Amino acid sequence: MERLMGMMLQTVQNYNPPPPITNDSIPLWTHISDALRQSVYRVLSLFIAVLPGILAVFVALTLFTLIGMGLSLLLRRGLSFVKFDERLNRGNPEWSPSSSPTMLIARGAFWGCVLLGLVIGVSAFDASYSTGTPLPISLLPYLTKMVGALLVMIAGTVIARFLARSVLIGAVNAQLQYARFLSLGVKWLVLVLTAAMVLDHLEVGGKIVELAFGILFGGIVLTLALAVGLGSRDLVSRSLEGRAEPRPERVPPPPEVVTPKPVEPIRHETIRHF
Amino acid sequence: MATANTVSSDQATATAVRADLLVFIAPMPPEQLESILGHLATEFHGEELVVATANDPTGTAHPEIRVLPVQATNAVWPIAAVDFVNAVHAAKENEAKAVLLLGPGADSLSPAALRGLVKSVVEAKSDLAVPHYSLPVNAGLVNSAIIFPLTRALFASRVRYPLSIDMALSLRMAERLGSTAQKFVNQNQPDAIVWPVSEAMVAGLSIDEVDVGTRELPQPAEPNINAILSLVTGSLFADIEAKAAFWQRPRRLLPEHRSFSAMPGVDGAVDIAPMVEAFRLAFTNLQEIWGLVLAPNSLLGLKRLSVVDPATFRMPETLWARVVFDFLVAYRLRTINRGHLMGALIPLYLAWVAGHLNVVGSGTDAEVHVEAVAAAFESEKQYIVSRWRWPDRFNS
Repeated sequence: MERLMGMMLQTVQNYNPPPPITNDSIPLWTHISDALRQSVYRVLSLFIAVLPGILAVFVALTLFTLIGMGLSLLLRRGLSFVKFDERLNRGNPEWSPSSSPTMLIARGAFWGCVLLGLVIGVSAFDASYSTGTPLPISLLPYLTKMVGALLVMIAGTVIARFLARSVLIGAVNAQLQYARFLSLGVKWLVLVLTAAMVLDHLEVGGKIVELAFGILFGGIVLTLALAVGLGSRDLVSRSLEGRAEPRPERVPPPPEVVTPKPVEPIRHETIRHF
Repeated sequence: MATANTVSSDQATATAVRADLLVFIAPMPPEQLESILGHLATEFHGEELVVATANDPTGTAHPEIRVLPVQATNAVWPIAAVDFVNAVHAAKENEAKAVLLLGPGADSLSPAALRGLVKSVVEAKSDLAVPHYSLPVNAGLVNSAIIFPLTRALFASRVRYPLSIDMALSLRMAERLGSTAQKFVNQNQPDAIVWPVSEAMVAGLSIDEVDVGTRELPQPAEPNINAILSLVTGSLFADIEAKAAFWQRPRRLLPEHRSFSAMPGVDGAVDIAPMVEAFRLAFTNLQEIWGLVLAPNSLLGLKRLSVVDPATFRMPETLWARVVFDFLVAYRLRTINRGHLMGALIPLYLAWVAGHLNVVGSGTDAEVHVEAVAAAFESEKQYIVSRWRWPDRFNS
C-alpha cells in the first residue's frame, strides 16, 4: 500500500500542468487531452488526500471491533465466574429483559467499542479531508451528514411503527371501524415528517422539500380529519345532544308478542371483569 | 429510595402491645370501617386484637378495639405492596401470631367468614388462608379466564381467587410477603400487586381456602377494561416470569375434597353481540400483531372462530389456553411492546367472555365451564414449557 501511495505521489509531483492555451492553431485533440490531464490530476490529488482518511476509518473500525470482541468475551467470562446474574436476580427478582444481565453488559461493551471506532474513524476522515484536499467536491461532506440522516431515519421509522400500533390497538379496542385507516394515517404522517427531516438534514431540495412536506402533511391531516369526522358523525352528534340535554335511557322496542315474563338483557356494561 | 415503614414510629412504639391477631384494614369509607369493627368486636370478643388502618377511628362505637394508625396510600384495589409492608411491620411490632388483611368492602363479609379465615391459620396451622367467594356468573371474569387457570396450571394450586383482597397469614407467610412487597417499594412501585398464592407455593407453605359466601367486590378506580386488564395480567405475567424456574418442573395438583357455596345465577339473557363484534373487528385489523405473537395453529383457530354465529359462539378451551400461553411467551420475549401486547389481548379476552356467557346461558354451570378451562390449561402445560424454552420451534 505504501508503495502504491508513493508511486501516486511521484506521478502527481512529476506532473506539470499544461500552460494556458493562447494559440488558436493548436488542434482540438490537444485541448481535449489537456482537459483530461487536468481532470485526472484533480481526482488523483483528491484521492491521495482522502485515502489516509478512508484507511483510518477502516483501521479504527477493525481495531475497535476486535477490542470490543475481546472485551465482550472477557466480561462474559468474568461475570459468569463471579455469578453476576444470580447475585443481581437475588436483589431484583423482577428482571424482565429476555437476555441475561451478563449478556446485556457484554453486548453493550461490544457495540460501544464499535461505535467508538466508527466515531474515531469518521472524525479522522473529516480532519484529513478538510486539511489535505486542495479541491472541494460536493459529495464527500455528506458522509458525516449521512450518518446523522440515517439515525434520524431509523428513529423516525421506529416511532412511526410504534405510534401506528398504539393507534391501531387503541382504535380497535374503542371499536372504531376505521382503526386501520387511522393507524395508516398516523404512520404516514410520521414517515413524511421523517423524510422531510432527513432531506433537510442533507440539505437536499431546499425550498421544494419544505413546500412538498407542507402540502403532504396538511393533506394527510385534512384527509384524516374528514374521514374521522364523517365516520364519527353519529358519535359526535350523540355526544353534543348528551351535553345539551340529559341522555335518554335506552328504550326497548315495543314488544310485538306479549310474553308472560320479559327477559331483560344484560348490557355489556353490567359485566364485571373483576 | 422509598421507605418501607410508613407506620408512624412514635405511635407504634407508644401503642405496641402483645396481640394474638393483627387486623389490617385497607382504606375505606367510615361506615364500612364501623361495620367491620362491629364484626370484629362480636366475633373476637375478649381476644387480644389490634387493628392497623389508615382510616380515622375517632368516633367509633367500639373503643375497646385498639387501633394503630398507618399512613394512607393511594392504592384502592387490590391490596398494594406498601399495605403488605405496613401490615407486616405492625404485626412484628405487636408480636402478633397471625395477620388478617381485609380489603375495601370487607364489611359485606360475615363475622363467621372472618373467624373462618383466622381459624384456618391459628388452629389449622395453615400459612395462608384465602377466601372462596360466591360471585355471580357475570363477575370476576378476568379471574375465571386468566388468573385462576394460569395459577392452577403453573403453580398447581386450586385456589379459586388467587388475587383475593382478604386473607389471613401466619407470621412466616406474612414475613415472606412483606419481604417481596418491600422489593417493590424499594423499586418505587408501592402500588404493585403481590401474588400471595404463587409466593406460598414457591416457598412450600401451606394454603387453605375458606368458604366465605357472597362478598361485594370493590371495582377498580379506573373502570376502563384496557387499563385494568393490562395492570393485572401484566403483573401476573411478570410474576410467572420471575418464578419460571419453579413452575417448569412438573407438579401434581392435589385432589379437591371439599365443596363450596354455589355461585348465584343471573336472571335474564346476556347480550354478547358487542363482544363478538369487537373480536371480529380485531380479527380484521390486528392480524399483523397477532401474527407476531400467536402460533399459526392458534391463528387458524381464531380465523374459524371469527365466522361463528354469535348464538353459538364459544372459544374452545384448548385454543384459549394456547392463546394465553402465546401471550405469556411474547411478554417474556418482548416480541412487541408490552403495552401493545396487553392491548392486543383484550379482544381475545372479550371473545372468551362472550363464549363463557353463551355456555352459561345454555344451562351449563359456570363453575363447570371454568373447571374445563382450567383443565385445558393444565393439559397444555407442556406446550408453554416447550415454548418457554424453545420459542422459535412453534413459528412454522
